[in-house]
Amino acid sequence: MSGIREGVRDSLGRVGYDLLAQALADCGRDGYTGGLRVSGSPGGGFRLRNGLVIGAESPGAPGPEALLLRSGRVSGEQWADAVRESGGARWPAEALIAGGLAGAAELRVVTVMALHDAAFAIVAGQVDGVERDDRAGPPDGVTVSVGEGSLRLLQDANRKLAAVAALPHPVHPDRERPRPGRPAERLTSLQTELLTHADGRRTARDLAFLSGRGVYTVTVEVARMLGEGLLECGEAPPPIPVRVPEATPVRHREPPPPPPPPEPIHTPVTLPRRVPGASGMSAGLPPEKPGGSWRGFFRLRNGTAR
Amino acid sequence: MDHEALTLEMRSLREQVTGITDTAVAACDGLLIAADTANSIDPEGLAALAAAGLGLARRTAQATARGTLRQTVTYGSHGCAAFYAVGDTALMVVLGDEGMDVDRLHQATQPALDRIGSILMAKQPEGV
Repeated sequence: MSGIREGVRDSLGRVGYDLLAQALADCGRDGYTGGLRVSGSPGGGFRLRNGLVIGAESPGAPGPEALLLRSGRVSGEQWADAVRESGGARWPAEALIAGGLAGAAELRVVTVMALHDAAFAIVAGQVDGVERDDRAGPPDGVTVSVGEGSLRLLQDANRKLAAVAALPHPVHPDRERPRPGRPAERLTSLQTELLTHADGRRTARDLAFLSGRGVYTVTVEVARMLGEGLLECGEAPPPIPVRVPEATPVRHREPPPPPPPPEPIHTPVTLPRRVPGASGMSAGLPPEKPGGSWRGFFRLRNGTAR
Repeated sequence: MDHEALTLEMRSLREQVTGITDTAVAACDGLLIAADTANSIDPEGLAALAAAGLGLARRTAQATARGTLRQTVTYGSHGCAAFYAVGDTALMVVLGDEGMDVDRLHQATQPALDRIGSILMAKQPEGV
């Protein structure tokens, strides 16, 4: 392992890896249960149980939630519903399975993949310090049911790192910011997606989050696409345009134009009076029998039938 | 105002905190000064939203006796948007994806805000 490690360190210029390797080895030997916080860039953390790694998180790799949501397998609303049903749990696995949004096996695969990917991101980055965090309490974050040996996990991450370093155009997950290169006709869905998002500002890690895929997968693909000329790395990042306050002095927004004055309401001086027969409607009606209305009045008053 | 120093601060913050995807600096009334944003984001609209959001948050903090406003953070399923006041003349917007450690962002942002405030005020003592 040390041979691979030294080689990878040389080519990728990692700093502080020994700290992490030693700390994880100690945890495994002690049968440690608790957290292991890794400060650095991107840094992250491991969760161990009896010396075995049951969880890993890093800002450098998408977690299981991001993998499910960004890939479109679960929508934001569905996720929010599942979290509500699970009483605010961070990883609502049972609600996702009950709702038919994901299978139990699928979730297991996603969590194990995310664990390995986080370990890869931590190992590939810079490690400033490692400290145990064995405060009592429930494990924070997503954990897998079967723990992984810390040595095996590190070996796996180092093997991946060595594989990336061995490519003709090695890429670091957090360093290169590629942009589209020569046009190509036959592209895989991942390549199309990466070409859509690669704008000269984003690293392989950023592209992994955007596409909802593992950072190792995306790093390898970016390295291959750089080799094929589908992507290219510019010399300098695109400039940030700055507005010159002297030329365009800051001023408050113009107030909206005043609303038009309401039209005056015509108020007649005298109320109109109705003139009998003015409409002409009664002109064609037969003349009313004299006294008819009086008979009706008496019928109503005495309650007699007609 | 030193343009280069401002863009350097914005870039260095992005490199310092993993997960920052976009940054922008605007005057407190929402007029954009500088934006390091993806093409999918309208920086002028973002600056106006940030000014309105910070104003609303400041009023809310006052009305509810929560003290001095520190920042506002909007959380979404694909990340978060943080708005910081730069003194009382400008503001800064930081967008991050799901991986960004928000505590680490706040920690890294505070010294950057002081420096950005000094850069903005350097040539305009009366305010931006």
